[in-house]
Amino acid sequence: MSTSSIFRSEQMTLCQLFLQPDAAYSSIAELGELSIVQFRDLNPNVNSFQRKFVNELRRCEEMERKIRFLESEIKKEEIPIVDTNENPDAPKPRELVDLEAMIDKLDYDLKQINTNSDALRKNFNELTELKFNLAMTQGFFQQVDPNGNGMFNDMTEEITDETQRMTSGGMKLGFVSGVISRERMNSFERMLWRVCRGNVFLKSAEIPQLIEDPTTGEKAHKIVFVVFFQGEQLKTRIQKICEGFRANIYPCPENGNERRELTMGLMTRLEDLNVVINQTEDHRQRILIETSRLIRLWKIKLIKIKSIYFTMNMFNNDIARKCFIAECWIPTSYLEQVQLALRKGSEISGNVQVSTILHQITTNEKPPTYHKLNKFTQGFQNLVDAYGVASYREINPMSFVLITFPFLFAVMFGDAGHGLIVTLFALWMVLKEDYLKDKGKNQEVWRIFFGGRYIILLMGIFSIYTGLIYNDVFSKSMNLFGSSWKVKFDDNILLKDGAVTLEPNPRPYSAAEHYVQMYSGNPYPIGLDPVWQISENKITFTNSAKMKFAIIIGIMQMSFGVFLSLGNHLYFKHYYAIFLEFIPQIIFLLSIFGYLIILIFYKWTTYLAEQATDAPSLLIHLINMMLMSYPTDDSKTPKSIVVFYNHQRIIQTILLIVAVICIPWLLIGKPIYIIVQRKKKTNSTELVHQESEASNDIEMHEQNEPHQEVDMSEVWVEQGIHTIEYFLGCISHTASYLRLWALSLAHAQLSEVLWTMVLRIGLSMGGIGLGGVALFMVFTTWSTLTVFILLLMEGLSAFLHALRLHWVEFQSKFYKGEGYPFVPFSFQSILEEAAAEN
Amino acid sequence: MKDDLFFNLDHGYAEGLCRGFKSGILKPADYHNLVQCETLEDLRLHLQSTDYGNFLANDASPLTVNVIDDRLREKLVQEFQHLRNISYEPLSTFLDYITYAYMIDNIVLLITGTLHQRAVGDLLPRCHPLGSFEQLGAITIADTPAQLYNAVLVDTPLAPYFIDCISEHDLDELNVEIIRSTLHKAYLEDFYKFCKQLGGVTAEVMCEILAFEADRRAFMITINSFDTGLTQDERFKLYPRCGSLNPDGLQELRRTDSYEAVKDVAARYPLYRALFEGAGTSTGEKTIEDKFFEREVELNRNAFLRQFHFGIFYAYLKLKEQESRNIIWIAECIAQKHRARIDNYIPILP
Repeated sequence: MSTSSIFRSEQMTLCQLFLQPDAAYSSIAELGELSIVQFRDLNPNVNSFQRKFVNELRRCEEMERKIRFLESEIKKEEIPIVDTNENPDAPKPRELVDLEAMIDKLDYDLKQINTNSDALRKNFNELTELKFNLAMTQGFFQQVDPNGNGMFNDMTEEITDETQRMTSGGMKLGFVSGVISRERMNSFERMLWRVCRGNVFLKSAEIPQLIEDPTTGEKAHKIVFVVFFQGEQLKTRIQKICEGFRANIYPCPENGNERRELTMGLMTRLEDLNVVINQTEDHRQRILIETSRLIRLWKIKLIKIKSIYFTMNMFNNDIARKCFIAECWIPTSYLEQVQLALRKGSEISGNVQVSTILHQITTNEKPPTYHKLNKFTQGFQNLVDAYGVASYREINPMSFVLITFPFLFAVMFGDAGHGLIVTLFALWMVLKEDYLKDKGKNQEVWRIFFGGRYIILLMGIFSIYTGLIYNDVFSKSMNLFGSSWKVKFDDNILLKDGAVTLEPNPRPYSAAEHYVQMYSGNPYPIGLDPVWQISENKITFTNSAKMKFAIIIGIMQMSFGVFLSLGNHLYFKHYYAIFLEFIPQIIFLLSIFGYLIILIFYKWTTYLAEQATDAPSLLIHLINMMLMSYPTDDSKTPKSIVVFYNHQRIIQTILLIVAVICIPWLLIGKPIYIIVQRKKKTNSTELVHQESEASNDIEMHEQNEPHQEVDMSEVWVEQGIHTIEYFLGCISHTASYLRLWALSLAHAQLSEVLWTMVLRIGLSMGGIGLGGVALFMVFTTWSTLTVFILLLMEGLSAFLHALRLHWVEFQSKFYKGEGYPFVPFSFQSILEEAAAEN
Repeated sequence: MKDDLFFNLDHGYAEGLCRGFKSGILKPADYHNLVQCETLEDLRLHLQSTDYGNFLANDASPLTVNVIDDRLREKLVQEFQHLRNISYEPLSTFLDYITYAYMIDNIVLLITGTLHQRAVGDLLPRCHPLGSFEQLGAITIADTPAQLYNAVLVDTPLAPYFIDCISEHDLDELNVEIIRSTLHKAYLEDFYKFCKQLGGVTAEVMCEILAFEADRRAFMITINSFDTGLTQDERFKLYPRCGSLNPDGLQELRRTDSYEAVKDVAARYPLYRALFEGAGTSTGEKTIEDKFFEREVELNRNAFLRQFHFGIFYAYLKLKEQESRNIIWIAECIAQKHRARIDNYIPILP
């Protein structure tokens, strides 16, 4: 048997790797690039911080932290991070030290610069506040007492009186000035008033521009204030309040000249500071730009190192033999490549004397499921895996779903026009694949569409095909080859009221004088004759046809599923299951529903137009077959329900009896087989038991009873459920396939309604001017509705129904889906995950 | 019934969020791993695999217990404030009520700090962020409780609680403690009343928790007041009146003068009897404080068993605080290489 096939998952081997400590790192690095090995954790009970390489991991994390810091600094400066799409190899352990040193130095430098520039900036901001403070308070003390005794004769209009009163009282008026953030101003004012019992005067003005806060460095609205007060005690209080409200107090000379001097000095200092700050900024900028070129590479390198050590933490450390022991699953067909990678790894590490030993071990454990996929099959495999990952080596329905899924979808979505739009959309995604791959990564809906682009493409193509068969293009028919029907009535008949019927029979039309041949005798070459489009009984006709299609497709798909279960039985060598499961199942299905299909084809091929009324009603016949009641053949009973071929009664009775026999066959066959098997086994184990006792070989004894057997009652219950599920399933699933007809009817009707109710209104409006404008408007509505309702909504519904038919009706016949996926150790997927997290 | 019907309309999202947060509380297995850590770095590594994620990832090594404490608090405050921001009335008022307790503690912290001549700038960062308010920084200007009330607290929601404390005495250490206890008493009683008024499951759950809190305060005030200058009557004034000890038990407590006497009072209440009997001061035994904490954790945990009530928000905050205390305890034990008592944390989930 071939090890690799599209129908089954890859054969897996559990391998032990004996890695030399020196070579381990580079070997794992090679395997990470190869992405085909899944390691098993051999120390599941060891805490993450008690593992061997925890120090290396910690160093990596420390570096990552620093890189995050550098990155945030780069982002703050809005410098783009260079993405060269380069994929650097995992650096050697000794390079790690260099990398560490480099990052450390950068981190240190940058922090140094930051502290310096923070200090400078703080200074700068403080001076700026002081500058504003001086400038704004200038307004408050417009006129200074010429004596310069620190008293203000006239400050502002409002307080003149007060001041004069104070001055005349001969008391010294002190003041505190500062800057406070705007949102604190209100409560600050209130508290001032309360604490000082109204004995202060507050004057404030808002700084017209946003300025940076010296402590936080954030831009904020600020207010300059001056508090006038009297007495030392109040001063300390006011200062405390300022402190509590985080207002910055600035000294403000009382004398106007001093203020002017201070302002001048301030200006020069600010300018000097600005120069220094700009220089620091330039230096910082240079470092960051330098870093932004390398930071992406560093991140990749670090992730690789980290994942290597993380993997190596899962290994056993054999101290006696001085090597690491790893266990991993490898697809058997890749063993060669893995060997090669391991050898390359040893060579890189410079340790060629003792290469890594790869040792295959046999195990009872269930291996992971790994399908070789490409971008085309991936989407379809996702559909299957969404139901359940295939059990190891069981038949993978993906290759069948590949065709049946789009086909069943198209049966329900049958409209060539809509199919064409879907196809073009999918084709655009497929052709522009490389360009679109990186676009819209965060948009979930788009990702779903893009991920399923090949599915959508096939769905579209198949829809065009079924649309041609149904002869439906935007609910209209195309007369490509010329209808096989000709209307040859004369005017007398056509001008009468009411509808006329095109008779297929080559017999004289009742009112016509002579024989008229209206049907050419040759059917329309492909699909439905366009003449049906204008007939009144179109729905009756298409319903009958589509219903039968649905049943035929359904029974065929289900029997195919049962046959696939035969494939599984043969592969896993469950020969008993062929006789106890497969045969009764297939007999039951075919003897009732297979027979029905034969009858459908018989009816289609045997009954010609002349005998249309005598054609058997298959539904009645099927019911009669079940009830075993056959109406007597006399003139009263309609021809359609009496037996229509010889020995029909006997044949149907035999088929029914055979089908009924299958029920107990399936129900008790397997449990009885298991009982017999167990009897045999207990006999043989007793023998082994005696032998092992003789040889005193305890290990042998243990290996012979690998797992506890399930209770017999459980087997019975399980088989009972299985049986009921299958037989009832055959009936309900067949009925379920009728959704193919129902949805295609719904789709056809909906698009027809849309045409007649919307677009036809526009088409029937007269006049070039008004009609044209109206048509333009109506077309917009029609096309929008077509896209949103018919393509998106109906498409989604047909998609879900097709999915259900595959999961429930088809896969339940053979697919267990109890496996677990193969997750190889892969740098690529780890990097993608890390990128997605950001 | 009607409240249950419409609960989710306003508070469903917040409740769901809170329950989600609660599921991130460390499990016994996590604690088991934490106490095995050799260094704080190990602790960080292990916490990374829990719901805390990389909350410590941006702190440079070597890690200190203070940093861990800050980060733990930061994370909790962030979660709580998020809940507060998305909450509707009356949940938002309920959440505000929770923060009042922190405001009281902050005020007391600042006053004591100033008594010890510490600068406000040093003290402010040590205040709990949940209890900070605008006028907090200016507290230091007050010398007497009356000033404190008139200048600072009158605008805060704590004002009504403070009315009982207004006096012209100087703020000294004993007075500050009395102020703290009076404020807490008034706060607890008010919160209790508020929860009662909310009614429904909230009242049932919260009143039980708050009653326990009140009783605990009464016990602790009594035990701590021996050998201080506090008279029996003064002490009696500090007991919150919303617990199950009220009124008889409180009268009894007023007359006690030793730990044994307190124990006798507790013996009349089955719940407290069990707590006092399980407690001891010798090594290997749990202190009465720990016993109370354990009971509190149990009550808070039980709050999550019922739905459509606000109690879970309170309970979550308290549980999370206990968890932070546990982590800090373990971290301290690790940092000081004093592993003998490392198991003395209070398990939150059984």
